[in-house]
Amino acid sequence: MSHRDQIFQGILKALTPLPERAAYPDYDTAATTTPRWLPAAEDNETLFRQRLTGTGGFFFESPADCAAWLKKDGAKSVYLAPQVAHLAAEFAAHLEVVAEYTRDAVDRIDAAVTVADGAIAESGTVILTDSGTPDRLAALAPWWHIAVVPRPTLVRTIGEAIAAFPADPGIVWITGPSKTADVEGILIQGVHGPGRQGSFFI
Amino acid sequence: MAHQKIDTYAATLDPEVRQAVRSNSAAGTEKRYQILGADFGDPDPLRKLAGAIKQHTIEHLDQYLEQAERSLTANGVKVHFAVSTQDARQAVLDILNQTGCRKVVKSKSMISEEIHLNDFLEEHGLESVETDLGEYIVQIDHDHPSHIVKPILHKNRRDIAKSFEREGLGDYNDDPETITRRARAFLRQKYLQADAAVTGANFVVAESGRMVLVTNEGNSRFCLAGTRVHIALIGVEKLVPHDRDLAVFLNLLARSATGQQLTVYTEFLSGAALSARPSGPREMHVVFVDNGRVDTLASNCREILRCIRCGACMNVCPVYRQASGHAYRSIYPGPLGAVLSPMLAGKNFSQLGDLPKASSLCGACNEVCPVDIPIPDLLLKLRNRAKEEHLPSPGTPPMAPFAMLATAPMLWRTAMHAGVALDLTPKNLIPVPALQEWLKIRTLPAWRGGKFRSWYKHRPAKGKDRQP
Ligand code: SF4
Repeated sequence: MSHRDQIFQGILKALTPLPERAAYPDYDTAATTTPRWLPAAEDNETLFRQRLTGTGGFFFESPADCAAWLKKDGAKSVYLAPQVAHLAAEFAAHLEVVAEYTRDAVDRIDAAVTVADGAIAESGTVILTDSGTPDRLAALAPWWHIAVVPRPTLVRTIGEAIAAFPADPGIVWITGPSKTADVEGILIQGVHGPGRQGSFFI
Repeated sequence: MAHQKIDTYAATLDPEVRQAVRSNSAAGTEKRYQILGADFGDPDPLRKLAGAIKQHTIEHLDQYLEQAERSLTANGVKVHFAVSTQDARQAVLDILNQTGCRKVVKSKSMISEEIHLNDFLEEHGLESVETDLGEYIVQIDHDHPSHIVKPILHKNRRDIAKSFEREGLGDYNDDPETITRRARAFLRQKYLQADAAVTGANFVVAESGRMVLVTNEGNSRFCLAGTRVHIALIGVEKLVPHDRDLAVFLNLLARSATGQQLTVYTEFLSGAALSARPSGPREMHVVFVDNGRVDTLASNCREILRCIRCGACMNVCPVYRQASGHAYRSIYPGPLGAVLSPMLAGKNFSQLGDLPKASSLCGACNEVCPVDIPIPDLLLKLRNRAKEEHLPSPGTPPMAPFAMLATAPMLWRTAMHAGVALDLTPKNLIPVPALQEWLKIRTLPAWRGGKFRSWYKHRPAKGKDRQP
């Protein structure tokens, strides 16, 4: 008998004697998963900024602000994804702009600006997809990652973001900078992914 | 042995480790309490809902597993099944061989700990590197995780600095930031050189075949950016019926585990990476693993299969805090482990049959559990099973002499009077081994045997001088 059949037969044998099986509970996602402070909270854009900052992320008013901050924080080079190539002038004022991301550039390019497919206000989360990100590594390997959020893609809750999953094999939600507390419970940012995670709206 | 094995271990624990485990666990409990309180007031309705969804799922596992298999296949994922530890390891090895992979990076997965995958792959000449910082340190130290979310809770920065120095990652430096940077630099080369990524999964949605993976460090993301083959080892119980259910579970998981609203990286994967993109796996395999889960489903402890591995029950457990994770002698420590480890042990139940006794049944684990598992009830059921299987119960004296006395009134009376002699005898000189065992962890009060009978016999007759 194949392993598959063995497992399915075992499961059937385990479940058949049950006098009844638990029903799927009836529930309303918004009513059960919405934090109690959310209905009275700010509009989505303000809330996103607050929550992003709360996770240790950075929010910028404009591409120019972002570029100036990157430089001040120590970045020298920045990769711009094709969707934001039109912002090259703003970034070139402060940093070396790279238009191509390649695997051998992983340790050479300091910062990357890519475009999110969406964002969640209640948690300060940005949503990236394979379709929207030219290279998974670009949004992960640099110390600074900026996920640009197109205003209309912003949703309020986790439940809404799930209800509107894009059709993409690789969706990733990023909520703040990469972090660990493995060493004596001390919080360190930037373990494998970016140590600085930021956003601005377009 | 008078003490339970777990007490014996706890007694030898380095005081510094005990302090670290205790304060870190307590901090975890506090963070969980704060965020759930602030966000939901009373989290019970959400916990109970999550528990009900999971209970429904495991009680319909026949349907959901079949549905998940269909959905995953439709997403282009190759689905495999493995009954035992041996089968699961072999399945991974076969996939690696067939795809010509020699170097593996791993993202933290408890099930791969269960089957000791790293050792097995290394025995077969493959390189397998853990990428979660804590798990990497566990691996280079040939150690075991002591917590399912915080694997190196039992180590301090000096231990880690020594390990890094030994492994050639730089001179001795115990600054946590430096330790992390060194791991970052070293592991990023590993991601880029590796052929395959082995991960677990936090959830698999039956209706969509969507697999959810969460990490704070971003290591699973990096594994799935650097490699060309993705193998996910997944316990058959990890399913949820619908995408919408993820809102319930994701709202509970990180809050319960680390006090965060969401884990930093939450990946939703439905197949290999988009082929038009340069990075990310070109093929994806899922190995559904039984390894004792189906037997657990058949048992009266099947509720433990609801577990979403958040670690909240160990953080809150007074026994875990005192004893640390290694005291449980198995992959899963704490209240979760006290139930799951003996269950997954199958035929070797007796070897871990003492674990369900390592609890005061205070119920804290049930109260914090995001899927509302009645852990204390399950512990009682397993204690019962241990009794039925006649497992020795350290510290409990044999009951036969008591039974003899209690069923013969003459003997009982004599014993009650003779018992006074106990008060006059130094207890450590009484040559009864069972009593000596018992006395090691308890003290006897002064003998009062026979007093009640004597009072009853000599009490004033009814109506005279008796107080109401
Ligand atoms: S038993 Fe409950 S509290 Fe413990 S790890 Fe599992 S889900 Fe978390």
